[in-house]
Amino acid sequence: MSLLAVTRLEWRRLLVRPLAWVLAALTLGWLGWNFTLLLGSFLAGQIQRAALPDGPGFTDLVAVPLLGQLAQLAFLVVPLLSMSVIAGERRNGTLPLLFAAGVPASRIVLGKYLAVLGWLLLWLALTLTMPLVLAHATHLDWGKLTSATVGLVLMLAALAAIGVACSSFASHPAIAAAGALIVTLALWEVNLGAQMAGMNGGAINWLAMSTHLQPLLRGLVSSADIVWFVLLIVLALALATRRLGADRERG
Amino acid sequence: MTSIIPASPKTVLQLDRLSRRRAGRQAVQDLSLALRSGEVMGLLGVNGAGKSTTLSMIAGALRPDSGGIRLNGEDFLEHPELARTLIGWLPERAPVWAELTVNEHLDAHGRLRGLNGSALRAARSAIIERLELQPLARRLAGVLSQGQRQRLGLACALLHRPALLVLDEPANALDPVQVAGLRALIREQAAAGTAVILSTHLLAEVTAVCDRVAILHEGTLRHDGAVHADDHAALEKTFFEIAMNGSHQPARAA
Repeated sequence: MSLLAVTRLEWRRLLVRPLAWVLAALTLGWLGWNFTLLLGSFLAGQIQRAALPDGPGFTDLVAVPLLGQLAQLAFLVVPLLSMSVIAGERRNGTLPLLFAAGVPASRIVLGKYLAVLGWLLLWLALTLTMPLVLAHATHLDWGKLTSATVGLVLMLAALAAIGVACSSFASHPAIAAAGALIVTLALWEVNLGAQMAGMNGGAINWLAMSTHLQPLLRGLVSSADIVWFVLLIVLALALATRRLGADRERG
Repeated sequence: MTSIIPASPKTVLQLDRLSRRRAGRQAVQDLSLALRSGEVMGLLGVNGAGKSTTLSMIAGALRPDSGGIRLNGEDFLEHPELARTLIGWLPERAPVWAELTVNEHLDAHGRLRGLNGSALRAARSAIIERLELQPLARRLAGVLSQGQRQRLGLACALLHRPALLVLDEPANALDPVQVAGLRALIREQAAAGTAVILSTHLLAEVTAVCDRVAILHEGTLRHDGAVHADDHAALEKTFFEIAMNGSHQPARAA
């Protein structure tokens, strides 16, 4: 019950803040424009591709690249959206109000995480409507689109957990946003050197988020990739809970 | 807001050798107190005496380093969820979620305290009416004056009809009319069986509404006794003796 109360409170606070609306308007406008460009390019090359027996279709050339652009925007959007969830409360002095309501740290963290994740899933759903409105007019590869969507959901869930964790450790929302951006970029690029050296396996590649997202965007669903994302989410939320619990201890 | 006054007041709050270090110093040390239902206790002390730290621990916002807190006979430190229904807390400076309206604030607090649906709506209407918050109901908390925030904080603390009301300097930023209203409200809550503990710097506040006064100095309890409306001079003497010397000499019977 208290989990739902925290989620509702955070959801309400997200909805009345201009930042969430500005981010949604700007990013959806950008994605809409890119969707138009991708669609134009797809239609222009249709005749040439007709000669290829197994050529890329609408899903490969429009839907998945659009989701790829959303993934890139998420690197900036998620830290901005999640920066205030705990750091803002700490700064305003409202965090003790939640402690004094008898809500355990784990539920505060989870409640806030679910609110941020809800906003991100709505953002993803609105983006997905762009290729889906053309489903009746083109041939969609549903399997590949589902796989890419699962990948995006997992990625957004992981970025939200990192954002909430950084917010729990920071004293100011801007520091939380910068921290989340750095951690996310580090996780994405951690294997860049190894890749340049021609190494495609090993622990360093396993650590990188791109290693686990790219197969999903290509339509390959592997339980190992899903487990990687789940582990990252659990680890980030556990760290946030621990930090919040320490807040209550330290005062 | 009708409640039956308990026939025999029971102990709502019991502090047992409560201690807490804060900012590198002992903020509260070996504090033991008990508060019965319907009793109003004033917590006095100079700045840094440990009043807010004590009230934060009682409210469940801060964990003590050692000692125990019992609420209605149950171990509060083992069961922090007791705060949800039993305690109403008005922290110092009444922090608010600036982007929510007064109505939304009350709803959020009510849900956090386990109220929902028609029970929440009824409690919200009652407290808005009692604290005369109707003109502010749709206003954002972020644009309220400090006095209005204080009233909102008080409304949030009272919304779920707690058994223990913890008020940290509740008269802060209130005008004289509102202070009189606050005193009436505290007496009304006590008459309904709510135990009230409040911190203040105003001795007149204590003599006006409190049945008992506890004086803290450097984190320890230096005085705990009954107080009456006509005790102002005696209370002032006791307070200044403790503030200046750290202790006071109780008056001896002739």
